Amino acid sequence: MDYILDLLLKQIFGQPFLLLAIVVFIGYIAMKQTVGKAIIGAFKASIGILVMGMGSGALIANFGKLLTALQNATGIQGAGLNTYPTMTASYEKMDAILGEGTGATWGIYVLLVAFLMNLVLVALRKWTKIRAVYLTGNAMIVQCGISTYIVWRFLGTGMVPTVLIASLITALYWGICSTALIKPTKVITGGADLTVAHQQMFMSYVAYKVAPKLGNPEDDIEKKKMPKSLNFLQDSVLATLLVMLISTAVIMLVIGKDGVDWLRSADGFNQGGYKNFIVFLLWISITLTANIWVLLAGVRMFVGELMMSFKGISEKLLPGAVAGVDCAAIFGFAPKSVVLGLICGAIGQILGLVLLLVFKSPIFLVPGFIPLFFDNATVAIFANKFGGYKAAAGICVVNGLIQILGSMLAVSMMELTWWQGSADYATVWVGIIAIFKLIGSALGIPVAG
Amino acid sequence: MLNLLCVCHNGMGTSMLLKINVTNICNENGISATVEACAHGEAMSFLMNTDIVLTSPEIVEFLPATDAKIIATTNLMDKAEVTRLLVDAVKEHFPNEIS
Repeated sequence: MDYILDLLLKQIFGQPFLLLAIVVFIGYIAMKQTVGKAIIGAFKASIGILVMGMGSGALIANFGKLLTALQNATGIQGAGLNTYPTMTASYEKMDAILGEGTGATWGIYVLLVAFLMNLVLVALRKWTKIRAVYLTGNAMIVQCGISTYIVWRFLGTGMVPTVLIASLITALYWGICSTALIKPTKVITGGADLTVAHQQMFMSYVAYKVAPKLGNPEDDIEKKKMPKSLNFLQDSVLATLLVMLISTAVIMLVIGKDGVDWLRSADGFNQGGYKNFIVFLLWISITLTANIWVLLAGVRMFVGELMMSFKGISEKLLPGAVAGVDCAAIFGFAPKSVVLGLICGAIGQILGLVLLLVFKSPIFLVPGFIPLFFDNATVAIFANKFGGYKAAAGICVVNGLIQILGSMLAVSMMELTWWQGSADYATVWVGIIAIFKLIGSALGIPVAG
Repeated sequence: MLNLLCVCHNGMGTSMLLKINVTNICNENGISATVEACAHGEAMSFLMNTDIVLTSPEIVEFLPATDAKIIATTNLMDKAEVTRLLVDAVKEHFPNEIS
């Protein structure tokens, strides 16, 4: 009996690579696909989640060396801003105390329960006013992982209460924020029946409300000419490398010769052969970019399978619901706002980083392409549509600034070496984390992980 | 068997949702195809083995030179429009792949 319980609870339903395969298999069968297709989909999801782990494990370890060198040289604690590693770093913290695979297992349960709660909230739309189903699977997995860690960290709860509480806050965030964007999204897309479901929904809503007061929607940037020379910045692989290159160069300059020597040593990257500074800098930045790429390739292998089931189940059970989709689905309607947002958001983030240095913040952040590009592009689209390009430029500079300062607050409470970095996770979620921290300390619960 | 490629900025969200829709469109219209999703920055490695690319107009200029047929539409989530464009393209360029 014990053997069977251990097999079921720990070795099958407690192992993310098998649990996810089972979820995907059931999804395929529920969608009336053939058993053959279901088995193939399940195995691909299994491989994907392990590939993700390989990428993120190497990324967190390698990036950690840079952060250690920075801390040894200056006492400053560092953290990187990127969505997926924040999820895996949260899981690593949980696994260290609860056992290998626990974090991701709880995270997958939160994903399923939060999705079901979202459906229930929409089914009860007469009372809840929530009409949108959040279908952006790649953002869902990350947000569920972070919610899981927040609840466990501050409330110290076991699996069932952690899953229920984390699912509820996540489902409410999804439902309320994506429903709020239905109306403005309809204007932007010229009547398409969808809404944005991502991680800058609150700030997009603020932009939609504030932009008309700052500018004139007649100053629409989409009607103006823009230089094409900035387009290379939108290449996700190259832009990630560029940000890594600049950040690593800054860190190497700050830690000086001794720090760089330590990085070459066996305690660091164990790469004594890269004696030339530039070659070593290139090797580190390209390695980190490659780690991120492996992580993304892994996510891509399983997230499509999950999304297919979510989309199918939602369409079957709630045919009248509004589909909440990835923010980039509206980029085609406003390609110039996308570039404007990227540039102005970058200015805001640089401003924020300078402020951290000037005020001698104990935490320094390394920006990331995903929160910088996708958030500011989306906020810029809403701001430009309802207040013209001047309002969009101003709002995105402020948004970039908030992303840095808000993330700094989040990192100080979460003590992770990675943080989400996107607009809502520098505003709304900082508030949610603070509330959980407050509740935890009021109840005298020691902070875990 | 056709190889279709859905392309967006990061290859994770929009192109993934498009991939789901395109897979369904192919099943419903008797097109035999495998569908992949990727970011435009990594499209090069897929394009050698791609017959039709589906993406939005502003991304077309980021794509490397290719012999694949390119279908671009502003609202990638508009299933009716994507269906019309895809079925027309397959009928015109790959008539043997549709039943």
